[in-house]
Amino acid sequence: MAGTGRDERAWVRRAQAGSASDFEALFRAHWGPAYRAAYLVVRDTAAAEDIAQEAFLAAVRALDRFDRRRPFGPWLHRIVLNRAIDWARAWALRPEGEAVDAAAPERPERDDELLRELGRLSPEHGAVIVLRYLLDYTPGEIAELLELPRGTVNSRLRRGLDALKERLE
Amino acid sequence: MRFVAPGEREAEERAWVVARAAYEEREPVTWPRRHWQPLVALAVIAAFVAAALSPPGRSVVRSLREAVGVKEAEPALFSLPARGRLLVTSRDGLWLVRADGSKRRLGHYGDASFSPHGLYVAATRANQLVVLDPKGEVRWTLARPAPRFPTWTGTRADTRLAYLSRGRLRIVAGDGTGDYAVGPAAPVPPAWRPGRVVVYSNGRGAVAYDASAHRRTVVPPAAAEPSIRRRAGQSEVVAGDRVVFRGTGVFDRVVASPDGRWLLVSWPTANQWVFVRTKPRKIVGVARITQQFGRGARVEDWCCAVP
Repeated sequence: MAGTGRDERAWVRRAQAGSASDFEALFRAHWGPAYRAAYLVVRDTAAAEDIAQEAFLAAVRALDRFDRRRPFGPWLHRIVLNRAIDWARAWALRPEGEAVDAAAPERPERDDELLRELGRLSPEHGAVIVLRYLLDYTPGEIAELLELPRGTVNSRLRRGLDALKERLE
Repeated sequence: MRFVAPGEREAEERAWVVARAAYEEREPVTWPRRHWQPLVALAVIAAFVAAALSPPGRSVVRSLREAVGVKEAEPALFSLPARGRLLVTSRDGLWLVRADGSKRRLGHYGDASFSPHGLYVAATRANQLVVLDPKGEVRWTLARPAPRFPTWTGTRADTRLAYLSRGRLRIVAGDGTGDYAVGPAAPVPPAWRPGRVVVYSNGRGAVAYDASAHRRTVVPPAAAEPSIRRRAGQSEVVAGDRVVFRGTGVFDRVVASPDGRWLLVSWPTANQWVFVRTKPRKIVGVARITQQFGRGARVEDWCCAVP
């Protein structure tokens, strides 16, 4: 689970000062959401792992420059989602793709179906739905994260949800 | 929505090893430096802007832009212009880059090279020579002090690796057996020549060793490989006795594509890689290399398409 804002600021501050245990706290708190967000967009475990791992490496590289007044999670999620969208677009353009990872999470059937259909949305629609309903960002925060107009976020949410609803009915 | 993605826990442990290694290797910026750097940067920017406003200043800005870096470089390595895969090392570790631009971090390794058919990668750790497959799975290791410059030769069935360790050239079979020392060597990458002959420097000059006959031999003529030469603040790439690319500052590496039609020039001064094709001439720049691969990014090898 992610820590409170105060926990997180303290972890960042002490990680900047060289505390490996605080860096680990930051990593453990954010790995799950980062990996899940990437997975739900790309639907491939190896790609999700690469994307989330690269986001953390970017975080290590930028750690000393990171503004401690800003929350760490949104910054990390922006990197993850942008990379996941790029990956999904690139994959869709490949003339011959490898089969995506078909392993399903151990959840009730309805969740399986929902997640499968979520993975079939376009990366742009999938990303805003993941941010809104998995990571609990507000549309305004999503607009800021993905550098999109607020109206675009709302329309992508609406269209994504409509598409999901249609496929699940 | 409560949800655990498949493979999440295992991926977390693998990623934690990589992230921890990257964290432990970073050089924390001390408090005072963190604060004076922006001030210095602001002062430099202010001086630069003031100078740029004057006509001579505008000219300087223009020539600076023209001097360093390829204009209109791609902002990221979206794809390679030729078939094959790259091995890239940086302070973040060893990366395998596929022709479509996707990349995978193989782990924290130093010098690296592909086996002759790209089936394996030889790489170095502090006191280990490591051979791994392109997915990053370690196939074998050999404990040797400070190994450097692993270089392969051979066929699909029978390969040899030459490398340096503690000031000596050593050779080992591609399956990790039969390791032996050849002789004292200077810290320069050895190079294989046809006929299983390895050429290396002993500090006084080039020496050739025939690994089949286990004896020294006549140094064969060097193949016409592209090279870098530096002169008066500039670097040049020379191929076939001709300068094919020139730029300000330092080029640290040039490697040829597997089909020999493209050269990849690593240009740290401009934080760019430049792909150069001579016939017909074409230049493709890729910017922001350190942001993509980490500091000290260096192309180690460009090899065969897919094993």
